[in-house]
Amino acid sequence: MKMLLKRILAVMLPTLGLVWAGAVAAQTETLKIGVVTALSGPGSEWGLAMDGGMKIAAMEVNAKGGLKVGNKTYKVEVVSYDDQYKAALSVTGATRLIEQDKIKFVIGPLGSAALLAVKPLYEQNKILAIIGSYTNKALDKDTKYMYRGYPTQTEFAGPIVAWLKKNKPALKTIAQIDMNDESGWGAQKLVKEFLDKEGYQIVSGELIERSLKDFQPVLTRILATKPDIIETGSVPAATQGLIIRQARELGFKGQFVNLGGPGVPLIVGAAGKEFAEGLITYAAADTSTKAFKDLEAQYAKVLKPPMNEFAVYFYDGARMLLAAIQAAGTVDDTDKVRAALEKVPPFKGIQGTIRWGGMKDYGSNHQILTPIFIGVIKNGEQAILGRMD
Amino acid sequence: MLERPELFELAIKIVINGLTSSLVYILMALGFTLIFGIMRIVNFAHGELYMIAAFLVYVLAGSLGWNYYLVVILAAVTVGLFGAALERVLFRPFIGRELNGMIMALAVSITLQAAAFILFGPEDHSVERPVSGVIQMGTVMVPRDRLAVGLIALFILGLFYLFMRYTKAGLAMRAVVQDEEIASIHGVRPRIIYPLAFGLGGVLAGFAGALMAPIYTIYPYMGAQPMLKAFIVVILGGLGSIPGAVLGGVVLGLAESVFATLINSTVATMVSFAIVVVILLIKPTGLLGR
Repeated sequence: MKMLLKRILAVMLPTLGLVWAGAVAAQTETLKIGVVTALSGPGSEWGLAMDGGMKIAAMEVNAKGGLKVGNKTYKVEVVSYDDQYKAALSVTGATRLIEQDKIKFVIGPLGSAALLAVKPLYEQNKILAIIGSYTNKALDKDTKYMYRGYPTQTEFAGPIVAWLKKNKPALKTIAQIDMNDESGWGAQKLVKEFLDKEGYQIVSGELIERSLKDFQPVLTRILATKPDIIETGSVPAATQGLIIRQARELGFKGQFVNLGGPGVPLIVGAAGKEFAEGLITYAAADTSTKAFKDLEAQYAKVLKPPMNEFAVYFYDGARMLLAAIQAAGTVDDTDKVRAALEKVPPFKGIQGTIRWGGMKDYGSNHQILTPIFIGVIKNGEQAILGRMD
Repeated sequence: MLERPELFELAIKIVINGLTSSLVYILMALGFTLIFGIMRIVNFAHGELYMIAAFLVYVLAGSLGWNYYLVVILAAVTVGLFGAALERVLFRPFIGRELNGMIMALAVSITLQAAAFILFGPEDHSVERPVSGVIQMGTVMVPRDRLAVGLIALFILGLFYLFMRYTKAGLAMRAVVQDEEIASIHGVRPRIIYPLAFGLGGVLAGFAGALMAPIYTIYPYMGAQPMLKAFIVVILGGLGSIPGAVLGGVVLGLAESVFATLINSTVATMVSFAIVVVILLIKPTGLLGR
């Protein structure tokens, strides 16, 4: 009798366990969010920030029990693919997310060439994407499913150039250095408009290969034009540091300005504290605030530090996306989710209020508008000179 | 329009930039061509030997604070020993079989890049330079760190020349490069020469990587560009030709410096490939190849 009871329990208990697990699983599903961006190579400091921002937002939601959408609860899972800032790999990654992983929400890509390559994929497959890229061609009046998650030079270069003109009036000539790709061409052309408007004389406009590390020849040519300012718009942070160091070694004593992606720690690391001193830079965040430092602590749980300031944008962007999915009540209908996404702002980001805009510049309100900071490097650290809301 | 003194100053800068680049290209190319010349293996993992040495400098000199110059020697020797081990374990079966050796080298290259990525992450790392500041020669400024790299590279090349010219091992290697069968008949043992060649090639790549570590930034894929330059130099100079590698390095370094300074770096890259194409059309074995 005892033996029979034991046998019955041995069969029933696991069976009950399986049924219970199945019931739990039926209530908690998985919502996959894709990331395709530069996770390695030049530019990866920004790509990792995109990935990290999304992962932190996912981690926070999951810690609270998951994302409640309708009468279901979803565990948010982030699926990331590295495109190494290359258009071909971005298309491969995006295709894999859409076709293989059946994902409907994506963060990225970062690069402009990559973005233009995947844009048709996103729009045709109704993939709702929070994108990067600085190109003006990313958004237009026909863009439906892509929303840019950070401000571009269109938004921040003008105010910073105006600040420079007002605060350093003795500086009149400028040399621009950008990458020789879609990102760089667009950035240089755009910044040139703001420089022309403020009356600067552009004495040199150089385009360099992403793999280049020896800038002696190109700097020799630039310095022959005697610029007061060297502006390193779309150049990755560590490469900017190399340019700064090599230019100082060749005798350049003028002003450096960065009107592209932020990355003060990498700039200082490559240039050295002494040479990086005084660089005026677009700053994505006030890194001295508690909110930023809390985000840095969260970042360390998902990716290896240091955290680039861009993480702030994609953390806020990811939270807006998740809020929109929740508000829309669906994880499948991206038309409903994008309608909800457009109604989410004004959104309390970790640095201030953020909203959608860009109708005047792009023909659609798919451009994030956030507070912008002007920074300066002092003693190896970024200090904030000004803030524009 | 530049005045004559300014033109002269520009010319000096172009030559100095070109020669300092050439010396590093030659270090890389010599190791690469030595391995090919003796083993007929196109070592596409050569750039990763350069990368490993740079990361050794990052860890030992950058993080642990060891003396930089000692670390350079240690890094080069370590990479040399690693190269010899690679030859013995992975490449020995493919000696003489160029395609198979190439594929194995590619696999090793990708594996080493991935390992560095996992260990150190994708971001750029910097190492404090042992020498900083500039030397002013009239109105021309030469960074001290570049000058130091150039002089050390020249010294290493001198040692390499003496080794190849006046030692038994060097003579044996040159004999194998010229004709392995005849060398073997004269008592040269390939099983000793192969790891020695791979190891020596690794030492040269290691010196290049360790010397350049403080000049640029260090990251897992940093070996790709030096590998490409080494490949161009070797093709230009002639696969397997040691004097050809030296000549090819000087031609490439100066050509790049001229065109990058006078036009831009994209044109300089294009011109360097164009020079290779032209020379190969005229002399398919390269400048000094046989």
